[in-house]
Amino acid sequence: MSASLDRNTQDTAPGTQDTAPGTQAPPRRTKRYTEDKVPLGTVIGRMIVGLVVLAVFILPYLIMVFGSVKTKSQIRSVDPTYFPQEWHWENFASMWSTPETPLAQNMISTVIISVCATLLVLVVALPAAYYTARFRFPGRMVFMFLVIVTQMLQPAVLTSGLFRQFSILGLGDTWAAMILVNAAFNLSFATWIMHSFFAGIPKEIDEAARLDGASQLAVLFRINLPLVWPGIVTAIVFTFVACWNEFAASLVILSTAGNQPISVALTKFVGQYETSWQYVFGVSIVGILPVVLLFMLIEKRLVGGLTTGSVK
Amino acid sequence: MRRTRTLGAIAATAALTLTVSGCGFGGSDSGDESGKTTLDFLVPTYSDVTKGLWEDVIEGFEAENEDISVNLEVQSWDNLEKVVSTKIQAGEAPDIYNGGPFAGFASDDLLYKAEDVTSPETFQDFDEGFLDNETLEGTAYAVPLIASTRALFVNNELLDEAGVKEAPKDWDELLDASKKVSELGDGVAGYGMPLGSEEAQAEAAIWLWGAGGTFGDEKEITIDTPENLEGAKQIKKMIDEGATQDDPGSSQRTPLLDIFVQGKIGMQVGLPPTVGQIKDSNPDLDYSVVPIPTKDGSPMTLGVGDQLMAFQNDGDKAEAITKFFDYFYTAENYLPWVEAEGFLPVTKSGSEELADNEDLKPFLDLMPDAQFYPSTNSKWSATDGAFKSTFGELESKPADEVLGSIQDQVDEG
Amino acid sequence: MSLSSKPSSSGSAPKSPGSKQRSSGSGRRTTWRDTLKALPWLAPALVLIVGVVFFPAGLMLFNSTRDLAISGLDKGSVGFDNYATVFGFSQFWPIIGRTVIWVVAVVGLTVVISLGLAQVLNKAFPGRQLVRLAVIIPWAASVVMTTMVFYYGLEPYFGVVNKFFVDLGLIDNPAGYGWTKNPTTAFLWSIVIAIFVSLPFTTYTLLAGLATIPRETIEAARMDAAGPVRTYFAVILPQLRGALSVAVLINIINVFNSLPILKVMTGSIPGYGADTIMTMIFKYIELQRKVDVASALSVIAFAIVIIIVIVYVRVVKPLKEV
Repeated sequence: MSASLDRNTQDTAPGTQDTAPGTQAPPRRTKRYTEDKVPLGTVIGRMIVGLVVLAVFILPYLIMVFGSVKTKSQIRSVDPTYFPQEWHWENFASMWSTPETPLAQNMISTVIISVCATLLVLVVALPAAYYTARFRFPGRMVFMFLVIVTQMLQPAVLTSGLFRQFSILGLGDTWAAMILVNAAFNLSFATWIMHSFFAGIPKEIDEAARLDGASQLAVLFRINLPLVWPGIVTAIVFTFVACWNEFAASLVILSTAGNQPISVALTKFVGQYETSWQYVFGVSIVGILPVVLLFMLIEKRLVGGLTTGSVK
Repeated sequence: MRRTRTLGAIAATAALTLTVSGCGFGGSDSGDESGKTTLDFLVPTYSDVTKGLWEDVIEGFEAENEDISVNLEVQSWDNLEKVVSTKIQAGEAPDIYNGGPFAGFASDDLLYKAEDVTSPETFQDFDEGFLDNETLEGTAYAVPLIASTRALFVNNELLDEAGVKEAPKDWDELLDASKKVSELGDGVAGYGMPLGSEEAQAEAAIWLWGAGGTFGDEKEITIDTPENLEGAKQIKKMIDEGATQDDPGSSQRTPLLDIFVQGKIGMQVGLPPTVGQIKDSNPDLDYSVVPIPTKDGSPMTLGVGDQLMAFQNDGDKAEAITKFFDYFYTAENYLPWVEAEGFLPVTKSGSEELADNEDLKPFLDLMPDAQFYPSTNSKWSATDGAFKSTFGELESKPADEVLGSIQDQVDEG
Repeated sequence: MSLSSKPSSSGSAPKSPGSKQRSSGSGRRTTWRDTLKALPWLAPALVLIVGVVFFPAGLMLFNSTRDLAISGLDKGSVGFDNYATVFGFSQFWPIIGRTVIWVVAVVGLTVVISLGLAQVLNKAFPGRQLVRLAVIIPWAASVVMTTMVFYYGLEPYFGVVNKFFVDLGLIDNPAGYGWTKNPTTAFLWSIVIAIFVSLPFTTYTLLAGLATIPRETIEAARMDAAGPVRTYFAVILPQLRGALSVAVLINIINVFNSLPILKVMTGSIPGYGADTIMTMIFKYIELQRKVDVASALSVIAFAIVIIIVIVYVRVVKPLKEV
């Protein structure tokens, strides 16, 4: 058992190891694999449990996948089958050119709104999280509470005010409006989690750096940022997913079909007397995939990130 | 120390500004060329062709009227009213709106009079019966767009199988036939009774009016009346004697009709687009379209009209709106639109042209007996909502209690 | 954070001599001058919150005292009549009760299941990576779509879940059972779905928490010949407290405010037998077209959730005091 791994556990975030930033500890997971000398029976038992978990979490989405490759009439069949009898994969091609909604543009809108809103949240929440974690001043807790209050408001009732506000500002039907809305309403979680990450870093590191003559900004960016990187990743994921699926405000603020995100575009397949369910399901899958890919890329960092933020 | 912190803030603020301006303002395309009149046009989705149909109309219109451009916004029915009321509250009402009840808007003085936004020729071509439905205290505030009447769709095969010779004409026959079909078993239901929130008011009208009742008129909403009670009790009788599908109180109309189309329901009330749906998804269905059975067999149907209305916004757009309506309601533009959506036309010229359309004929024939919702009553919206949220409770509660509760909700609202 | 335990949290009273003062790095007292220094760092966040959220939130408060016509037009003030309407509604208290059941059941069961799930995913076995990825999907998918899939599967006639029950012989009617058509079953299924979509976040938080438990702590417990159950409750669970308390707080807020699941699952059911505060707000807006009353109920809901959060934060103290 190596020393670095043991230390890893104490009261520290992965980032707070006093090794230089950049030299990450070897992934814990690999270590567990090799070190745990578990009997084969136990491993098989775990695999079976894992399989059950896998099934439970995937089954609902299999219904979605199967639905997306059926035809409009098959999907509303009163004699349902577990598996589609014909696989109409072409639904995934034709969904991009339906008369109902310009899906490619919707995709672009969703990406732009989500990416920009996430960046904006980072830019705004990072300094606030850092400062509130590092320095004490009157009103600090008021600020933190004000931030989390935004998370408690029910969006359904706020939309009409949001619409009116952005119309007055001349930002009705723009991506900018939605970027601001998404950023404002997701600021809270990002600030809180990053706050707790910064709080987990020993102050002495800062003070030492300041003694060496580094500016406050340099301390933040060069010393702290690399250490709280997992926390930032966590904040990014949370914000991004929330923006990606935002619906209530986009519905009223964005009126041009091409400006609307996927969440709104989905509703266009719902007619008065019939609904193109194959597209509703298909577009949903297309909407889920980028987020799952994002998860895949950062899963390890996410776990590390959540650790520090919540345990500290 | 202070300097660096301030610098940090400036950097952050600058980054914020950059992010917003970098990503943000590309989305807007509200480039208003000067001199051009822009009409904002908000419509609901009737079917998967709706958006395309309107785009064709707009394209043709804009080609003829280069000084006018039309901004189309399409929303699903679920979201339509939320979007329009949000816009109105913010003083950004659409110029033209395709929606349901208009009386609330008219009584708040938000709408143009229909005659101010149509030429006399166009206005006079509207069927008087439909135009009446757009009239509040003698003035029309909206123009009819499409209409529908309802009829009973009968699955001939199931009725044969159950030994029912003829489609039912009155309630006794309907109850009898439905029970026989239900007894076939295997998930087959006799009568499809959708009392769920989707369109509870329509199924209610069919039964309550079938006993000679009404929902009231422009002045007064009357739900809790002896005639209506009789209709409601008949619904309960149908349910209690097993003539309907399971859970009628929370069955939605659209999925239930899907089940009818696939031959698992003996009879259900449908409307013109149902014909197209059957063609699309189960053309082999052996069915007929007959008048709706009533208590004593006298003819009655529910007529529903949707309308276009023009909001008075800043700047006088009456002229541009008139041009648009006049263009749209010419037979060559209007008829393809109506036909593609599978509804009934509301213009005299249109009705003549489509008189021979076989699919629409049974519904056109019912037109003279059609009764409409009291949608010009300003309390109709509340009534409609009360039916949607309450009427399905008939399944488990006494009829007089349910009607009384709806009446109370209307009187309070 | 602990709102009450800090003098500075009140925001109104500057430090009075003798007030409890926690030491900060430099050990000096903080003054309003410090607040001024902090302002540049907080300003962007404040600008964004104030700029975007205040107007609509204010409008909500304002609308709750107005008479709004169906068209959306403002017809003047009615004082607290809308609040009277909310409280006078015969179903108000059952709805509050159901909201409590909703939040407690969803959050409680989510936590219990997540604890188990995190244990499973924390053990090494081939294919764990894949299982972890699957657990994340409900998080990535929009809640509306996940709910739609459940709804679709549970429908009589059309749904495969119903078909499954019929094939197993658990349901006699070949059309299946109307899970989504009866208040009780629809509400129960809504709880199931809400748990399902809350699991990923909660599980991952706990997983992260597990990763920080010192290995030797567990091994020490084993040395003491404690059984696995005892080890879990005596050693592991206390260590997870921090992770758990944050996850619960966020879940409480989200579950309380959750509308889509109940809207889809119980939307076709007449009456108010499956409604919570959120679906009632929705019904006031959509069915009764009473935005004014809906605003009043929203203000009440907002007050309730703030109280819950304050109480929770006081009792549990989820974040380390900084």
